[in-house]
Amino acid sequence: MDFYLGVDIGSVSSNFVLMDSQGKIHEKVYLRTEGNPVRAISTGYSILKKDMTQNQQIKGVGTTGSGRLLAAVMLGADVVKNEITAHAVAASNLYPEVRTIIEIGGQDSKMILLKHGIVNDFAMNTVCAAGTGSFLDQQAARLGVPIEQFGDRALDSSGPVRIAGRCGVFAESDMIHKQQMGYPLEDIIMGLCEALARNYLNNVGKGKKIEEPLVFQGGVAANLGIKKAFEKILGMQVMVPEHYDVMGAIGAAYLAGETIEHNRQATSFRGDDFVLQGKFSSISRECSGCANMCEVVCIRRDGEALAYWGDRCKKWENSLQPSSKKAAGDTMAI
Amino acid sequence: MTRVGIPHGLFYYYYYPWWKTFFNYLGAEVVCSNPTTRLTVDQGIGAAVDEICFPLKVYFGHVLELKRYELDWIFIPRMVSVEHRSYICPKFMGLPDMIRASIPDLPPIIDITVDVSQSNRILKRDLLQLGKLFTSRESRIREAIKRAREEQNFCDTLASQGYTREEAIQLWEGKATHSFQAPILNLGVLGHGYSLYDAVINMNLINHLRNMGCRLWFPESLDADDVETSAATIPKRVFWTLGRKMVGSAIHLSQQPEIDGIIYLACFGCGPDSLIGEIIERQINDKPYMLLTVDEHSGETGMITRLEAFCDMLLRRKNTGNEDNISAHGQYAYCRQSTI
Repeated sequence: MDFYLGVDIGSVSSNFVLMDSQGKIHEKVYLRTEGNPVRAISTGYSILKKDMTQNQQIKGVGTTGSGRLLAAVMLGADVVKNEITAHAVAASNLYPEVRTIIEIGGQDSKMILLKHGIVNDFAMNTVCAAGTGSFLDQQAARLGVPIEQFGDRALDSSGPVRIAGRCGVFAESDMIHKQQMGYPLEDIIMGLCEALARNYLNNVGKGKKIEEPLVFQGGVAANLGIKKAFEKILGMQVMVPEHYDVMGAIGAAYLAGETIEHNRQATSFRGDDFVLQGKFSSISRECSGCANMCEVVCIRRDGEALAYWGDRCKKWENSLQPSSKKAAGDTMAI
Repeated sequence: MTRVGIPHGLFYYYYYPWWKTFFNYLGAEVVCSNPTTRLTVDQGIGAAVDEICFPLKVYFGHVLELKRYELDWIFIPRMVSVEHRSYICPKFMGLPDMIRASIPDLPPIIDITVDVSQSNRILKRDLLQLGKLFTSRESRIREAIKRAREEQNFCDTLASQGYTREEAIQLWEGKATHSFQAPILNLGVLGHGYSLYDAVINMNLINHLRNMGCRLWFPESLDADDVETSAATIPKRVFWTLGRKMVGSAIHLSQQPEIDGIIYLACFGCGPDSLIGEIIERQINDKPYMLLTVDEHSGETGMITRLEAFCDMLLRRKNTGNEDNISAHGQYAYCRQSTI
């Protein structure tokens, strides 16, 4: 049997799915990136691989997320796409009628509006990450509530307190004040959920026409408190897909399938040996070639440079092309 | 020969040909700092007061670079108003003073006030005064002003052909050109020139978009009268010169069917942008629009994600309804009906 591998390397989580050509998810892996995407990619792949039998093969690979380039280099991707397109593709395959997607991840939050299954408009948070997964993580840790139970605790609330959601720093100090005044934890947590939903709708959803059917996905969709807050504020039914936490990876798998089928090409997937046997490392160094001081990243496998990026002049990137390999040389002593 | 330094930032992008011609004709050598680099940025941030916007901080870096050269003068005009009843952001008014206060031991600063909000009488008088630093012949100064204006007009004409102002200045100086390929998307790209045309401040926005196959339309690419006419359609006149041009350009572009979308580049710390970006969003109705806010970030990933997603969206919109869903970009445009 043949599978498409979808990989979404985000700031907080790294997700992997194996999807068959009918769009059925056979395996999914949700890992914390923990600041080390290189390790997350090899661990994630080895977990997936464990459950695959001899006659199961990877026919195509798609990568997305902020670490999509890295994943593409390590695995050999057929398609590398931004998160917005990937999320939209995944949601519109599951819910062909979907009009609005709310996606809240670790660092980013997005709103995607679709018409007839294609993205018609989107918005992404700008400089503020208030209300995204990492802020919730941090608050859960501060309150001593495991993040997995955070949403359930919120649902126990009888009357949420009002928390300032405009800014993560304000929200935190407001929560501390309310806490010190003796409000029950449940009410504070639900208050936070409502504040974050309000902040999202004001900042990201600003001025956009939100229409049903509405899908809520991304890691934060696990939080039932936020789902309930959206339902309350919008007065709409909020659908959370079964695989809400790996929708980006699902989208990447769909896109890989499309690319392979359309181009009728063999996959660029590098194979098990390449991914599992080699030792990958990433090194970054400030290039001293000119005053731009680009922070160049080099991805290596067993000491051999696979890819460079971050250089404005593309000196390093181009140095990997066989013809110019000698020209720049691997003199970046890293 | 007298050497005058001009920082490569802010209104350099709009008036460099004028300034250079003027000083050259009066017998001075003009030394311009190099295009912005990471080093300019780091040094600028270190020297500048922290409340000002990013392009102003970068400008401090350019002044610091000029400080290393042996110069007789540094030219930092006090830009108040460049046209009747319109103004430049007030931070520019204090710029020469901020520089003086923050950067010691600079050569003397030429801080001529440019304010033509009421009339250009005082500016003319001051220009004649300024010219006397270099020559005693008033006729020569008048000729310098005339030539400066001609060169500026020539460079503006170059800029109207789809080049950024930085490219237009390079062309005007007889340097490199850029050839355009057949575009797959036509995008309006707006923003204050000193942010939009600086490849470090804009985080390579222009190059990324061109590499994705977009043809870009800047405020300068449009007919100035069309821009003004469109700007006059909103209820209250925008009294910032650059802000009004952006609003006018956006409204005009939004009415052109061949324009697929509009991108506005704003700086996080910019007061006028915080309003202008919103006004544009409300005025342009159906045209896809994206506001990008930049500050001192140096990671381009976030920028690239947004640009890719925006272009993907526009391509897919364009391609639905066509018989095939293959974009000219070489990538397969997704279509819901396709079965995998």
